[in-house]
Amino acid sequence: MTMPGWLRSIEFAVDLSFVNAKGWFLDLLGKFLPGWIVVLTSIVISGVVILCMGPIIMMYLTLLERKLIGRIQNRYGPNRVGIWGLLQPIADGIKMFTKEDIVPANADKLIHLLAPIVIVIPALMVFLVVPFGERMTAANLNIGILYFIAVSSITTIPIFMGSWASRNKYSLLGGMRTAAQMISYEIPMTLSVVPVIMMSQSLSTNTIVMTQCGDVDLHWFVFTPWGLTGFMIFFLCAVAECNRPPFDLPEAESELVAGFHTEYSGMKFALFYMAEYMNAFTLCGIATTLFLGGWQGPFLPSWLWFFGKTFLLICVMIWFRGTFPRFRVDQLMGFAWKFLLPLTLINILVAGLWQFVPERTAWLYSVPILIVSLWTLVKLNRHFVPEKRAYPLAD
Amino acid sequence: MEILTIGAKFGVYIVMALVLVFALGVVTLRNLFHSALCLAAVLVGTATVYLALRADFVAAIQILVYVGAVMTLIIFAIMLTEHLGEKTIRQTNRQSPAAILGLLGFIFMIGLVILRTPWPVTKRALATGTSVMSLGKALMGSYVFPFEIISVILIAALIGAVVIAKKDPEEKS
Amino acid sequence: MMFGMGILKGLWVTLKNFVTSYFCKPGSGGIFTVQYPEERCAEFENFRNFPFLVYDGSPDKIRCVACGICERECPPKCISITMATDAAVPNTVDQKNIKVGAGKPARRPEIFNIDYSLCMNCGMCEAVCPFDSIYMDHAFETTAMGNRTDLLKHKEDLLKSNDYFLKVRPTLAAAVTEKRRIAEEKKRAAAQPPQGPAL
Repeated sequence: MTMPGWLRSIEFAVDLSFVNAKGWFLDLLGKFLPGWIVVLTSIVISGVVILCMGPIIMMYLTLLERKLIGRIQNRYGPNRVGIWGLLQPIADGIKMFTKEDIVPANADKLIHLLAPIVIVIPALMVFLVVPFGERMTAANLNIGILYFIAVSSITTIPIFMGSWASRNKYSLLGGMRTAAQMISYEIPMTLSVVPVIMMSQSLSTNTIVMTQCGDVDLHWFVFTPWGLTGFMIFFLCAVAECNRPPFDLPEAESELVAGFHTEYSGMKFALFYMAEYMNAFTLCGIATTLFLGGWQGPFLPSWLWFFGKTFLLICVMIWFRGTFPRFRVDQLMGFAWKFLLPLTLINILVAGLWQFVPERTAWLYSVPILIVSLWTLVKLNRHFVPEKRAYPLAD
Repeated sequence: MEILTIGAKFGVYIVMALVLVFALGVVTLRNLFHSALCLAAVLVGTATVYLALRADFVAAIQILVYVGAVMTLIIFAIMLTEHLGEKTIRQTNRQSPAAILGLLGFIFMIGLVILRTPWPVTKRALATGTSVMSLGKALMGSYVFPFEIISVILIAALIGAVVIAKKDPEEKS
Repeated sequence: MMFGMGILKGLWVTLKNFVTSYFCKPGSGGIFTVQYPEERCAEFENFRNFPFLVYDGSPDKIRCVACGICERECPPKCISITMATDAAVPNTVDQKNIKVGAGKPARRPEIFNIDYSLCMNCGMCEAVCPFDSIYMDHAFETTAMGNRTDLLKHKEDLLKSNDYFLKVRPTLAAAVTEKRRIAEEKKRAAAQPPQGPAL
């Protein structure tokens, strides 16, 4: 796209404004202080920005969700606390801070305390590899995606800790179900990322975004058959990883009281809540980097594109919440193991085909393969009615 | 900048010490769940040590496989046993002092062997880093046979687990 | 049609709902929330809340004669009535040398208390009153700001004019007023000496 030179320079300036601001500040420091303090400060600035941005994003995400769900359900969301309810998250925060922290008498106090703390850590650590803009990845690791998958798989352990330490049968059931759901959905999620890694020849998130660049015709991975399938699978697994409806059986209010966070109140519950929403945000962020082209986009600054695409995906997650009933636990597991997993394997096959065959014929081969496999899997997964239990002593 | 490297070195030593402490916790704590969590901490600490030795891929895989999957399995297994709430697991018995003496002797011998072996630590070996690409090429190139065997074993284990866990077909009376 | 059609239809329904909630009117797909202190629902006539007493013109002309029927019929017994007694007319005695008017029951209530905390809004007092004096009001913002004993309403709190009655319950009040007017006229016609053909 040809743009006038002055517009282009303005675009660059706005695009790199945060990076330039940080660089200017570090230069300023470098005049007075020795080099190692500047390096440390650079790390600390990234860390502090993430630590501030994460909870603020989470707070306004909760407000966005309540307003959107309200509109879907034909009612206003919260609109009393500020205009459009903009101060509602602050009111919620004050409420969470000042609630009494109740620990069950029989609970394992140390683990009850540690579980919400440990669950927030992976949620925050994933922010390191998310490329928010052109040069705005906090840590450009060369194992970026693997780091993301590894760190988000740690999340199952604090769920166990939380459910076990509460000494409550509902918590235990909820915790087991959550853990089972999370590890089942990690596998299709990881496998659906593999075609992206194959195509971009690298695990680094920045490189993956750069591979999807193109000026006019967008080379986003979602516009290819394997990319589209991979995106759908990744998105569904992301919704399941965050325990969001329709996959929210672990914290289903009508069935398990509140699942593994039943016995938590006040700030500890706020930490669980925060971890869930930050997880949702980072998973959507990673989905946009992997499949939707990250911060690529024609006119607007790169971080604006990134946040726009991520919020679009978050709105889709909220839309799912307002639309679908909950999965039953056997349907949940069956969906992951019997439907998504074979589909990811076929997706990898198709992506491999794409790599070695020129583009036109690749479309000709991959689309029928994917459609046929999808149809076969649907037919094989038909309508399962669990067997009726016989209660011999009841008659 | 040397301050940073010295600081990093101290940090790694502290992490190693913590790993040893948690490992002791695994074998001496009386509450089984706590010792499982100490094991998770040991594995995370080991991954940090890998990171300090610049083996980033191995560190990530360690966390993904060990902490994400194996620990989940261990905790599931622990949760399905009984008597977990009470602190009744005794970790020592009457033979413990003799065993500790034997262990100390073993550590001494192993330490001697480690310190006296001429390890092939050359400048060239230290300078090469492993990349994911070279690992992938090696797995698919020179080590493809073990790779396939491992895959077959995993499938056999999976099928075996499913068969064991399946309900037996009930005989209709 | 194809697999997944139900999901897509569901998503379409919620999306449509989301979009129309911004544009449409409450009746046809828009948001029908009435945001209470700023907007209120339209009142309808037969909404019954707590009772009130009707007076014609000025608070002395109270219609209630303290017959006590509503007190007896009230299911939770929240009404308590004490009939007024005439004060003695000074320096007047009748044939039996008793002061005129002393202690004679007057046909109006001196104490008329309704305990709003007991009242169950059933409307039976309205149904049984023979003198068209107690009716169910619409006012629902009757919280007691101070003490719960503020919910015991006395006669002064309960008296409201006939114009108010006409405003809140137009058809019923119009019918009652019409009936009373006709009764008045008949009484006036009966009280006049009969006018026969001119003698």
